[in-house]
Amino acid sequence: MKRIVVDPMNRIEGHLRIEAVVDEAGGRVTEALSSGTAWRGLELVLQNRDPRDAWLYAQRFCGVCTTVHALASVRAVEDALGIAIPRNANYIRNIIAATQTVQDHIIHFYHLHALDWVSPVAALKADPAATGVLQNAILEKYRLPLAGPVELDTAAFPHNPPRATVAYFRDIQAKVRRIVESGQLGLFAAHWWDHPDYALLPPEVHLLAVSHYLNMLDRQRELVDAHLIFGGKNPHPHYLVGGMPCAISMSDMNAPVNSQRLAVADTSINFGIEAVNYYYLPDLLAIGHIYAQKGMTDGGGIAGKVVLGCGEYPDETYGGIANNDYYKNLLLRSNGVVENFAQGVAVAKYHDLAGADLADPAIVAEGVTHAWYSYPQPGDLHPWSGVTKPQFTGPKEGTRTDWKFLDETGKYSWVKTPKWRGRLAEVGPLARYIIVYTKVKQGLLQPTWVEKMIVDQIDAVSAVLGLPPHVWMPTMLGRTACRGLEAQVSAYIGKYFMDKLVKNIRNGDTAVANTAKFDPAAWPKEAQGVGIHEAPRGALGHWVTIKNARIANYQAVVPSTWNACPRDDAAGHGPYEAALLATRVKVADKPLEILKVIHSFDPCLACATHLYNADGEEVAVVRTDQYA
Amino acid sequence: MHIGETLWALLKRRSVSRRDFLKTCAALTGAFGLPPAALPAVVAAAETKPLPPVIWLHGHECTGCDEAFIRSQKPLASDIVLNLISLEDMEVLGAAAGEALERHHHEIIAQYPGKYLLLFEGAVPVADGGVSCMVGGKPIAAKLRAAAQSAAAVVAIGSCAAWGGIQAARPNPTGSVAVSEIIGSAPLINIPGCPPIPEVLTGAIMHYVLFGVPPLDSKRRPLQFFGNRIHDTCYRRAFFDSGMFVENFDDKGAKAGWCLYKVGCRGPVAYNQCGSMRWWNGLSYPIQSGAPCVACAADNFWDTDPFYQRLPNINLPNTVATADTIGLVAAGATLAGVAAHGLLSVAQHRRHKEKDRREGKDDE
Repeated sequence: MKRIVVDPMNRIEGHLRIEAVVDEAGGRVTEALSSGTAWRGLELVLQNRDPRDAWLYAQRFCGVCTTVHALASVRAVEDALGIAIPRNANYIRNIIAATQTVQDHIIHFYHLHALDWVSPVAALKADPAATGVLQNAILEKYRLPLAGPVELDTAAFPHNPPRATVAYFRDIQAKVRRIVESGQLGLFAAHWWDHPDYALLPPEVHLLAVSHYLNMLDRQRELVDAHLIFGGKNPHPHYLVGGMPCAISMSDMNAPVNSQRLAVADTSINFGIEAVNYYYLPDLLAIGHIYAQKGMTDGGGIAGKVVLGCGEYPDETYGGIANNDYYKNLLLRSNGVVENFAQGVAVAKYHDLAGADLADPAIVAEGVTHAWYSYPQPGDLHPWSGVTKPQFTGPKEGTRTDWKFLDETGKYSWVKTPKWRGRLAEVGPLARYIIVYTKVKQGLLQPTWVEKMIVDQIDAVSAVLGLPPHVWMPTMLGRTACRGLEAQVSAYIGKYFMDKLVKNIRNGDTAVANTAKFDPAAWPKEAQGVGIHEAPRGALGHWVTIKNARIANYQAVVPSTWNACPRDDAAGHGPYEAALLATRVKVADKPLEILKVIHSFDPCLACATHLYNADGEEVAVVRTDQYA
Repeated sequence: MHIGETLWALLKRRSVSRRDFLKTCAALTGAFGLPPAALPAVVAAAETKPLPPVIWLHGHECTGCDEAFIRSQKPLASDIVLNLISLEDMEVLGAAAGEALERHHHEIIAQYPGKYLLLFEGAVPVADGGVSCMVGGKPIAAKLRAAAQSAAAVVAIGSCAAWGGIQAARPNPTGSVAVSEIIGSAPLINIPGCPPIPEVLTGAIMHYVLFGVPPLDSKRRPLQFFGNRIHDTCYRRAFFDSGMFVENFDDKGAKAGWCLYKVGCRGPVAYNQCGSMRWWNGLSYPIQSGAPCVACAADNFWDTDPFYQRLPNINLPNTVATADTIGLVAAGATLAGVAAHGLLSVAQHRRHKEKDRREGKDDE
């Protein structure tokens, strides 16, 4: 038995530490803990601010899935104040969210995850000519022939198909060789390139993937040009409570949005479709297929047991979330919980999760038995009544500021443990795909075009892999694959809402903000609201309480709180931990599999490591607490 | 000679021709006692420079600055990372993790004392020994202190590193501070912004690699990028001078791109390049997309909320008028002493009003 520590966990957002006990003989992980090692206290910083500013602060929870917290935040404040946003604002927010998802998933696959599968060193052995042939073969075999409802096809032809020439791959290989031979490996330094898993792929796949890694590093920005048009910058584009700040005029070139500016956004959205169809999905399926054939489908954890989603993409505007109106015209009804998907879609059990459930302490609550906080009494608390009292207890071995090993029997993380009906759940693209697939296959939904496309994708991939969905989906591989599939759906969702936006403006509606309640004089003395969003990494919820035009309490339960949480004494290990327990590690001191499994969740920790507060008590709590 | 500079780069900088450079190489080949056939190898060596090693550490941050970095178009982030520097330690993009990465981090520091560039993103929490940001089992504050000791220079990336940022806003529960409050003697460059404009970030790094530490202002920001207020270079500035303001979001003025001062714009107090460079090759910036500037590159801007509250009255140029008095004049009231510039503005504003009336499009 060997206890290994991975800290810092790399290629993620924020700070994460993994400790795993590995049975060196069998290569099995027998114990694992996941620790968020930082907290920034932003909910405390949000206290007493103007609710119209909340999105600005909340957006800074994370700069990778940038903008998702701003969206959840404006939705929460609008829910509290009873503000319905104009149609155009709903379309624009959906465009921002969909393009964000495409870009975030692409960055994750190529720049945060690919180096777990692909090696620049191995690429040096590739034959550039064979790589060109392979590129074409992959495009023929793995490009899923699916398309969304693209009405206004503004792109004349595909502008961005991958290059498959010998000269191109030879040049890239020469560049990589210069870097490797210089001895200054830079980003590629100090890694376990001799790990046996890198030998699973042929050298040509390595060269092809490394080339696309570089292509997409240069091009990923163009996927979110729409954020620049509608929000002025990225990361952290601008929003507005009541709609969007980007006024629309078809007669003024000085207007934030006019036909020329819409064309910039449209070009970017078209690029997203091509980037997914010509690069991301074929690369992903080609690599995934090889791994599936080798039987490397571990790392599932609790994905096959409990997954949770909150639903997204209101087709038209809505009048509140907690009152369930939001849920009436969603394109992606991934809201709900599915149990036991690993036993087959026919026997999986579905539970609904919508408006009123989000306010019910019996359904959503958080515990801190293994997190560095303390509660005034035992038990879990709903976010509305959350309490913050940091209680850093130090490690099991080492000192407070020089850790050797953390204490899995005590407190060991700055992440709380959220629960659905007392159980832990995995969130993210895989969760959304399991939920939609289960609902449609069990006849619980008349599918929208988005839901139909998801089911078609899953069936198409099952045919390629030769495995049924309940076998390949709830695994490390399935988690990564569903993210790629969701990028394809999201690219078409961006296009779909772009079409609707253009049509609506053509019909004469240019309203983009409802400012009837922008002035706090129009607000009730007290109000509370919920804002939700299916962020790239999973279900996201913000809860806000407003008193006398100020934020009295602000709380977020975020995707990484669900996935990265420490264990619960009754409910068991968190999703990261459970996934590690379902993983083999071949070389204990080069635990590449741990990186693979954890990266398959696309960890994003800064948002997960936050504080909770009881209404009105926060200042006293902070001042009297030794850790404040 | 700059750190890591090649001979060829050095000679080029001194306007030595390629021909003379090759002659120098030939002379060196002889001096090294090598046969003439070895000349190409000597030339190649003189051309291939060891790239300056760079360490990029992460404190209390959201990784938005890394994302900004990879969004840079000119220069492309890939060109910087693969050609101009050797980014040896970076958690967000680097391949290595855990102990292997930690070991490499210490090797770089030991191997290149006084030669590596240290980039730091995020604030540094110091309350309770800094346990609210632990990396590799140690407080990030300790890691920053150690790495900064023998760095050639330290770059504080983003408003969190430069000023403390959002986690240092009241009540600052983690005791977060700026990089400048932690490090000792190494030269410090602040690149504020939440996040910095990608090309400001890469431009500053590029300046360092090519020319050394850039000229800095009193707050250690590169003058090149932080010398002007956004208000000075804003494309909506003419509307400010003319007294034409957005009064409410999505009103007539908002659709026509008028000045956002009255809905809270901080452009008049924000030093950054948004007005001239804009974001992403001139594509846009918040003001161009209708959002008032929040001065995200300014010191402690998080505690200058509420952001939709307008700044105190600012006199219009060459007049004694303010945004409000110009508005009153436009509405038909009288104002004595408005100078010629202001009167012209008023006339322009009035023409718009009359045009609206004719078209039956009065502001709500």
